[in-house]
Amino acid sequence: MIVKQPDSDQTSVDRGAPSIHSNVSHITAKDRQLRLSKWREQGIAYLFLAPNILGFLFFTLFSLIVAFGLSLFKWSLLTPPEFTGLDNYVRLLTKDPVFHQVLLNTLYFVFGYVPLNMLLSLGIAIWLSGPIRAKNLFRIIMFLPVMTPAVGVALVWMLMYNYTPSGLINQTLAAVFHIRGPNWLGSDTWAMPSVILMSLWYGFGYNVLVFSAGLQAIPQHFYEAAAIDGAKRWQKFWSITLPLLSPSLFFGLVLTVITSFQVFDQVYILTLGGPGVDTTTLVYYTYQNGFTYFHMGYAATISTVLFLLIMVVTLAQFVLQKRWVHYEV
Amino acid sequence: MKSESFGKTQEVRLRLGSIVSHTLLIIVSLIVLFPFLWMLDTALKPNGQVFQFPPTLLPSSTQWGNFLAVWTFLPFGHFILNSLVVACGGTLLVLITSSLAAYAFARLKFFGRDTLFFAYLGTLMVPQAVLVIPEFLLIRYLGWVNSYQALILPMAFTAFGTFLLRQFFKTIPIELEESAIIDGASRLRILWSIILPLSTSALGVLGLFTFIGFWNNFLWPLIVVNTADMATIPLGLQMFQGQNGTQWSYMMAGATVSILPGIILVFILQRYLVEGINLTGLGGR
Amino acid sequence: MLSRHRFQTILASIFVLACMLFTSCGASSQQTSSGNQPVTLTWFMWSGSNQEVQAWQYDASLVTKQYPWIHIKFETTTFPDYWTKLETEAASGTLPDIVSLQSLRTPGFASNFRPLEPYINSNHFDVSAFNTTIIKGLTYQGSLRALPYDFGPLVIFYNKAMFNKYHVPYPSANWTYAEFLQDAQKMSHGNDYGFVASSLPDVWLPFALSSGAHYLTSNGQIDLTNPQLSDAFQNYAKLVYQYHVSPTITAPQVTTTPSIWEAGNIGMVVDGPWDLINDKSTAKFDFGIAPIPTMSQGSISVVAGSGFGISTTTQYPDDAWKAISVLTGNTAEQYLATQGRAFSARTAEQQYWYKNAVPGADTTLNQALTGAVPYVTTSNWNEVTTLIDQEGLKVLDGQESAAAALQSVNTRAGSA
Repeated sequence: MIVKQPDSDQTSVDRGAPSIHSNVSHITAKDRQLRLSKWREQGIAYLFLAPNILGFLFFTLFSLIVAFGLSLFKWSLLTPPEFTGLDNYVRLLTKDPVFHQVLLNTLYFVFGYVPLNMLLSLGIAIWLSGPIRAKNLFRIIMFLPVMTPAVGVALVWMLMYNYTPSGLINQTLAAVFHIRGPNWLGSDTWAMPSVILMSLWYGFGYNVLVFSAGLQAIPQHFYEAAAIDGAKRWQKFWSITLPLLSPSLFFGLVLTVITSFQVFDQVYILTLGGPGVDTTTLVYYTYQNGFTYFHMGYAATISTVLFLLIMVVTLAQFVLQKRWVHYEV
Repeated sequence: MKSESFGKTQEVRLRLGSIVSHTLLIIVSLIVLFPFLWMLDTALKPNGQVFQFPPTLLPSSTQWGNFLAVWTFLPFGHFILNSLVVACGGTLLVLITSSLAAYAFARLKFFGRDTLFFAYLGTLMVPQAVLVIPEFLLIRYLGWVNSYQALILPMAFTAFGTFLLRQFFKTIPIELEESAIIDGASRLRILWSIILPLSTSALGVLGLFTFIGFWNNFLWPLIVVNTADMATIPLGLQMFQGQNGTQWSYMMAGATVSILPGIILVFILQRYLVEGINLTGLGGR
Repeated sequence: MLSRHRFQTILASIFVLACMLFTSCGASSQQTSSGNQPVTLTWFMWSGSNQEVQAWQYDASLVTKQYPWIHIKFETTTFPDYWTKLETEAASGTLPDIVSLQSLRTPGFASNFRPLEPYINSNHFDVSAFNTTIIKGLTYQGSLRALPYDFGPLVIFYNKAMFNKYHVPYPSANWTYAEFLQDAQKMSHGNDYGFVASSLPDVWLPFALSSGAHYLTSNGQIDLTNPQLSDAFQNYAKLVYQYHVSPTITAPQVTTTPSIWEAGNIGMVVDGPWDLINDKSTAKFDFGIAPIPTMSQGSISVVAGSGFGISTTTQYPDDAWKAISVLTGNTAEQYLATQGRAFSARTAEQQYWYKNAVPGADTTLNQALTGAVPYVTTSNWNEVTTLIDQEGLKVLDGQESAAAALQSVNTRAGSA
């Protein structure tokens, strides 16, 4: 993008100094003009904002407040809502036999998916930053899955994971390695790893792009200077690349964590939260309670807990960033 | 002499390394692409061959007809139409309203500007799962269940687009507009003739992500759509699941169609992607 | 400088745009009174393919043939989604005029259906033409909620080609569970299995009932914790994890075991006559049907069926009554039976179904029906069956005991 350079420091309004004799009337007229244009500006601003803000207030902000309020009620849609205060939360955290499992499942997914995703996409991004031809083509290819519906890709992965009859993965294992593959989606050991693997394939391309953009923005002269000083590849990576890439890493990390807490589509298609509740994640549990059993208040409670969890984790990341993220020019 | 041969060995080593590097990358790319290829491959197989052992890579008789059969088996035409209406309508709505609002936040002074923007920012982190319950109740109250409005509107007013464009507009030098203001141009005119043409990469990125977001969205249509003729593609795809699970080839044909817009758009708009990520701060800088 | 005129133009266009977006898309029903004024009734029914949709639409056209002022708008979704969507519509006040109901879901949804007694009496409608078990199944708190169009006991479908392959004699009318297990074991080698077991309660409750277990208390409350039920379920699960006569299925396959059976490498599956025609067209092998194998208390199956009723919120109840009486009338039933879509709830029309069924079906079904009980459920059955499906999978896989799983479901479903 070509930026037009300003050719002078001339400010917009400079009509010359008012003459002493017409001082008073001139300023008043100017005053009035300024005030009018200020009101006009406000008016225009609100007009511009109106379509977006009406929708925002209504569908986003208002909904958020309703969600919190709803968590204080017990409501199954066909009967009138019943105010229960914090009962839902108490029930969720102490009496619900399933919530702890759901929470653990979600954390299992997050701690499994995020580090693998970051390592994989960082590795590929760095690899692609070297002397590679058609690097943009490779980046685009890695990115393709991100742009497709999770439902579509989950279906083909379900096909590959299929146990009876044998899907591609088990057939390959049997034919090439002579191993009898497990029931990927139906065993309590393999169900979550299967979901993680599919999600990894699906999502890593996004961070490849983010990190690639970050790597591209690192000025070359740092590397050249280091090369002159005799730095090895590893030293260059550790002392130059990582610190200067850290803003992108931070961004990628925050976003990946937030989206991983919300995994839903692939769980719905691959395992329906099963076997048992072994792959039921927080969003899936919210959906089940809200839209299969129609316990609206309780579902709102679960989603609020999810929101708080995400907020806490994200805030923690923001606090910790001072330690490792370098924002330099 | 010695240094020359040393230089040549170095060159050979580098070249070998490059070949290995490229080959490995090609292999990785193939692994990434493989599920899509498998999807297409299965879509073209006759149903009995889907789980055949050993797996056949090339179908015995290419069933392009499966793509047609998908249309008659389930109302797939409806699915595509609905997805198009929702994604195009939603993207247009987002682009228009976000540009207007972003310009107001970026350039105009008005009462409550900063508080309002802060509220926008705050909602960026809110997961969809929290909003779907009250939004569903809202839609139900308005009587819009199972309609296009329900599919488009709640998702069209998140703060993301406004935030993105506002950040971008702020990087445009204000001098460009000031001369226009002196000349008497309206704010709308300025937005249309000056700001927007300079923002094509940001708009491109926003448009791409918004379109794909609508196209791929599953949770919300799952909640708000009641009948098969109002379903969008992801919702329609999972309808194959509950039924004759043996109709894998039809299901894969449908899935292939569902991934096409994403793939096509990425290739068309790829120039904007890396550029756009840098410029709009999506890369964190 | 933005002139006043421009201002107004912009405002107007935004306003128009907003109006266009906010206008409701739904077709507004005509507010005309019924009785020879044209009326469009919406009818919500589940379906799995366009073929089925066409069959229902033909059915709907029969209504218009008899009552020319009534037009039916057919709406559909898949069977699993139907019940959640019905609840959504009930909660949104957007119930269609004619609603389809399955006997299993009657306790849960009956409140949305008008009692049909007033219409039966004023029209001197002959309810006895229908099978009594299914009429009972669609009755709630003393009043009938829907006219049935089909019903059937759950039975065993067996793949004759598989039986021939392993030289196993076909099931006899009074075959025992021991024989069933033996046959299944003979057919389970490599990729072949004798049976495909699902954790869906519909499928294994007949086995439980036949061995003397119960799942409800005397006043209809859920009771899954009794030891007979745990034992019965555990024995059933052994088919998968111990005897390996059934493959291990995953969660999305729980409700679709018939389609796994259709692939041809499975000997037997539990299914109902409603699936017979689908199986005939998809399965590449000959098959037969047999009653549930006899256990300690005999061969007890459950009878389920579906029908059509009038929603409580419809504005045209009289026209809706006329419509459902045609949808389940002799002509429609004959059509559905001949098509194989429905084992007719009308006793007289059952013969047409038998014509297109498999040989021996009539004796088997009659025998199964004599020993069968109506499939009684609770008002939160949707939740109960989902929980049993989920937890049951782990029992089938040997990862959890039946007692623990059923206890867990009982607690979670009971606290709803």
